[in-house]
Amino acid sequence: MAGNSAGETPGAPAQKPKAPLPKSRALVNEQTAGVYARAWEAHERGEPVGWSTAIFPQELCETFDVPVLYPENNAAAISARHMGEPFIQHAEGEMKYPINICSYARLNMGMADKMRKAESIQTQGIDPAMAPPAFLCLANNSCTQLMKWYENLSRNLNIPVFFVDCLFNYSEEEPAAHKIAYVRGQIENCIRQMEEFFGKKFDWDRFLEVQRISQTNRVLFNEIVALNARKPAPMNGFDLFNYMAPLVICRGKESTTVILTELKKETEAHIAAGTSTFRGEEKHRVHWEGIACWPNLGHNLKTLGGYGVNAVMNGYVTAWDVAYEPGDLDGMARAYQVSSTNSLTTPGIMKKRIASIDRFGCDGMLCHVNRSCKLMTFHIMVGREMIEEEAKVPVANFDGDQSDTRVFSEAQFETRLQGLVEIMSGNRNKNGNKEARHA
Amino acid sequence: MLTMGLDIGSTACKSIILRDGEQILARSVVPLGTGTVGPRKAFGEALDLAGVARSEIDRILLTGYGRFSFDDADGQMSEVSCHARGIYFLLPSVRTVVDIGGQDVKALRLSEKGALENFVMNDKCAAGTGRFLGVMAGVMNVKTEDLGALSEGATEEVSISNTCTVFAESEVISRLSAGVRLADLTAGIHASVAKRVASLVFRGGVVRDVALSGGVALNRGVVRALARELKIDVLVHPDCQMAGAIGAALFARQQL
Ligand code: SF4
Repeated sequence: MAGNSAGETPGAPAQKPKAPLPKSRALVNEQTAGVYARAWEAHERGEPVGWSTAIFPQELCETFDVPVLYPENNAAAISARHMGEPFIQHAEGEMKYPINICSYARLNMGMADKMRKAESIQTQGIDPAMAPPAFLCLANNSCTQLMKWYENLSRNLNIPVFFVDCLFNYSEEEPAAHKIAYVRGQIENCIRQMEEFFGKKFDWDRFLEVQRISQTNRVLFNEIVALNARKPAPMNGFDLFNYMAPLVICRGKESTTVILTELKKETEAHIAAGTSTFRGEEKHRVHWEGIACWPNLGHNLKTLGGYGVNAVMNGYVTAWDVAYEPGDLDGMARAYQVSSTNSLTTPGIMKKRIASIDRFGCDGMLCHVNRSCKLMTFHIMVGREMIEEEAKVPVANFDGDQSDTRVFSEAQFETRLQGLVEIMSGNRNKNGNKEARHA
Repeated sequence: MLTMGLDIGSTACKSIILRDGEQILARSVVPLGTGTVGPRKAFGEALDLAGVARSEIDRILLTGYGRFSFDDADGQMSEVSCHARGIYFLLPSVRTVVDIGGQDVKALRLSEKGALENFVMNDKCAAGTGRFLGVMAGVMNVKTEDLGALSEGATEEVSISNTCTVFAESEVISRLSAGVRLADLTAGIHASVAKRVASLVFRGGVVRDVALSGGVALNRGVVRALARELKIDVLVHPDCQMAGAIGAALFARQQL
């Protein structure tokens, strides 16, 4: 899982003359650059820098005021800039990892190994380049592969891991009390271990403040996403892939509040002016399932645009909606176990998707059959029938990968999309236009 | 009113000329796919057979894998919709269309009025496709189009357990060196394709009647094996290979 903080979408359709970046996007780029720069500065001063999984309780390191980078987010950004292949090749070749494991893991482990061998990532033109880690933060709430990935990083780099073991919710809608107690206990334990490792006391007042900021940010993000239920949508849904980066890498920071407040203002201005960041007429609205094909984002965007299709919403961006009351550690422990739909059952996930398709007035669903993120993908094989039956919209799948360029086929993507568009057009002629609930 | 549909596939090009969306005036099949002279040849042959000039055709629509690579047309549509429409024209009782193309397999669901309701396609893998049959025919040194007749003489089925084209190729080679009969091996290859295709069709749901379209439908061995796997009769129209082109010509008529 991750969000792309790469700033401008590489390979996106050329626009002439190039429109200036909206202020919110410039702020995202500035924020991302600042996070990486701060980590390098700390590293150069000999202070610890962390690498963390994307949905680890970030509130801890934020409270300790220790810089943290996010390999999944970094892998997404590097893939979007078509710079990931040498690392993936290194992981598969020299390190002998199989092609079947997550490509974020391959890319990052390849990069870490090159760093370990003193091959400076900074000087190779890799952007954004991660400062080497002194510790790792791991929560396995989006998949268990993360555990092996981080275990291997920890062994290869000889650094400690702060681990929060989350339990999946396969047999219940809500995590049982013992699961919440289990995760809470681990969070408390991590705090104790971190106090020792960083040589500082944990400031519980600051922690409460960070929790408050984190909640403000996730609520703001939800409000912005909800605006896209308007018809036509004020945003190209693919923008969400870029704007989720602040939530992934700076969820507990005030700079994210500034960015999201600005984005909300811009989006509301689009609504007031009847404009949108989606170029051209929005003929169809689809719900996107799965992580973006980062290396092919530009192609996907252009092809969707060519058919007047706006992927107004996707289930992926809601994974950082970690909702709890500030001060309620049990609530926080619960939230970290349910925010990623990867930890739910197929019917549980599909129930959310069906509600979202209805809420965002989608005419169809486009599913990324992602060779890397199997946990997120396998649900759709059975789930598509649930979507078709209950949401009554057609579903089309296409093959791809979030980072590995060998899997995606442009021709296949276009054929599947075109087939979906033709069915959606046929349905529209039959049923009239489906209205978004919040239009 | 004359319309043409040109289906530019990965291994063959098919063109058809329809009068008023009802009567087939000319058909042409060229066993060369996109990126070759195939599209131009199929295009020219149909015009010659119908005895008309390009300027007399009111609208030309392209479909198939190579649909973006031919200039002399008025538009294009996906092969998904075109196959559905074409089969409905040929066999109106059909609700499930299975199309085995050179590099993909589709299972299409049609409404009672012939509109495309849904589709599922194979993932990025050649198992179960026309390409799989082509590779196996090459290993056995027979022509792909002769595989159907060859399997008629089978007394048993040599099972091929690998679905991956590359692995299955080595499996077929080792069976050949073990001295199995070509007919029995061919029947096994057909069964392997049918199993793979059936699992896709089941994913989309089987609603009667079921028809096979595309060039592979001309292979009786595959049709029999698929019917056995699906436990249902599989209809095949003599023009099954033309379904995509017919669909394109019908959409062209509708757009006029
Ligand atoms: S497999 Fe999926 S959830 Fe796991 S690390 Fe990779 S992208 Fe994230």
